[in-house]
Amino acid sequence: MLRKVLIANRGEIALRVISACKELGIATVAVYSEADRNSLHVRFADEAICIGPPRPGDSYLNVPAVISAAEIANVDAIHPGYGLLSENANFAEVCRVSNIKFIGPPPEVTRLMGEKEKARQAMKKAKVPILPGSDGVVADADDALQWAAEVGYPVILKAKAGGGGRGMRIVRSAEELPNLYAAASQEAANAFGNGEMYMEKFIERPRHIEFQILADEHGNVEVLFERECSIQRRHQKLIEEAPSLQVTPKIREHLSSTLKRCLTEIGYQNAGTIEFLMDEDGSIYFIEMNTRIQVEHPVTEAITGIDLVKAQLRIASGERLDQILPKKIEIRGHAIECRINAEHPSKFTPSAGKITVFNLPGGNGVRVDTAQYAEGVVPPYYDSLIAKLIVHGKDREEAVARMQRALGMFVVEGIETSISLHQEIFKDPDFRAGNFDTKFMERFLANRG
Amino acid sequence: MKPDGIDELKELIAFLKEHEIAEFDLDRGDLKVRLKFASAIVPPAPAAPAGYDLAALARLIGTTGAPVVPVAAPAAHAAAPPAAAAPAPVEEEKLHIIKSPIVGTFYESPSPGSSAFVSNGDRIEKGQVICIVEAMKLMNEIEADAAGEIVKRLVTNGQPVEYGQPLFAIRTN
Repeated sequence: MLRKVLIANRGEIALRVISACKELGIATVAVYSEADRNSLHVRFADEAICIGPPRPGDSYLNVPAVISAAEIANVDAIHPGYGLLSENANFAEVCRVSNIKFIGPPPEVTRLMGEKEKARQAMKKAKVPILPGSDGVVADADDALQWAAEVGYPVILKAKAGGGGRGMRIVRSAEELPNLYAAASQEAANAFGNGEMYMEKFIERPRHIEFQILADEHGNVEVLFERECSIQRRHQKLIEEAPSLQVTPKIREHLSSTLKRCLTEIGYQNAGTIEFLMDEDGSIYFIEMNTRIQVEHPVTEAITGIDLVKAQLRIASGERLDQILPKKIEIRGHAIECRINAEHPSKFTPSAGKITVFNLPGGNGVRVDTAQYAEGVVPPYYDSLIAKLIVHGKDREEAVARMQRALGMFVVEGIETSISLHQEIFKDPDFRAGNFDTKFMERFLANRG
Repeated sequence: MKPDGIDELKELIAFLKEHEIAEFDLDRGDLKVRLKFASAIVPPAPAAPAGYDLAALARLIGTTGAPVVPVAAPAAHAAAPPAAAAPAPVEEEKLHIIKSPIVGTFYESPSPGSSAFVSNGDRIEKGQVICIVEAMKLMNEIEADAAGEIVKRLVTNGQPVEYGQPLFAIRTN
């Protein structure tokens, strides 16, 4: 087992990793910026080292400072948490060269998954379904028509040199394609000096479905079912749940065996998440892989009873999955997570400052992951996530009711939070019925006015 | 120690000095030798462990691989909260505190065996190198952010230091 681990992160995830280490008898070292001197991860770690001023680039993202702290504390591994340095292949490589174990996949794998096109091709090769694309530029409008006829409408035209929505058109029928192609190509030529276009299948109302995986360092991979994260605002997830109402046992089994094969081939190690879009017909397409622990990992922990962060530490210690996981892994009940952000519930402006009142909900089936406390300060330099509220029930109905009562008992004063926004979402008939997709929040906020 | 062993001892001392050995213990029952050189209080810069590729490391962290990097001590700006770890030994005198600009290991001298950059009572100029903080095998020369007289060194040689940790108290005038 690892002897001593440095946690290269802050906030709730740093505390989460410290908790897992404590339960495994691993000594912990926190690093912190000057803004986090009074944080709980600093308080509860066995040792804490200040690594720089508040700005993340000068502290939590400062590779020499983090490695230097690891060396003076004499740790044998670094847990990167999520965000910050967690998907930085360069950092993982510095750890390797410095003889410090990076708790995550090898840098080569992180690098592969970080290059979206290479990742797509790797998945395609392993027969993981990917969103159909034209594999390079289309020659002209006729070529585009032929391609669109093959995959079916709607399709989206995108500028090869593009970005920021320019040179992009959604095409819903063959009749409108020639005109839209000309307009998009002209726009791209004007904006980027290159009018070349490529095409992808377009999903009008996609659901965001992701699969949690664990892989040991001996070539074994396990898929721990899916999470549904369609409730997002500007690509930021707000509510996650597991299992997804739309993933049938057949889809689940089929994808699990495909992913197991694929990740074994890639040589994946430690925890990871594979993200998919699901269309209206239930077809599912790979979008990207996150090579780290996710914010929403607790919903998977709730339905499987598996501690994913402890599993990460044990994998990094060289244990095999059959030593770590129970013989039979099954879905028990339903879990939902709300991300409680320090932001205005309708204007979404960040709300840093001192928390005056902080009452956490508790009781049966309720878990709160947070590093905040009453009289504590939310610094303005970092992510606005201040707490994750996770509930577990025997089914979705019980989980929804439990979340509603828990949100009502979650009291934060002194700063603005998204708690009241969550309360409104949980009253929405479509949300309650499970009728949603990634555009849900757009419609919800428009209706709210 | 037998009287005729004195030449052997001289040889031993010369050998140890040549190889920059700081301390030496020998116990063979009838013979006990313990040698400690004055420079022994200066630990050598940690040797790169096996498999530690310094060039690769330098490339990865984007440095030139130069062994010595000058780093100015951070200016004491009002925005930075005071370091909790800061002792206040000389508060009443209103001394200026020079803090560590990086996390690493504090060294008082440029190399093992050489004399310290500065000692108590020394006059120092702003920008003068006052110590080294080693981070990731790089020896970072720390420069004074103010001129004055060294009143007290607040850390011991070879001690790990945090970002913002007080290193020296100086009297500015």
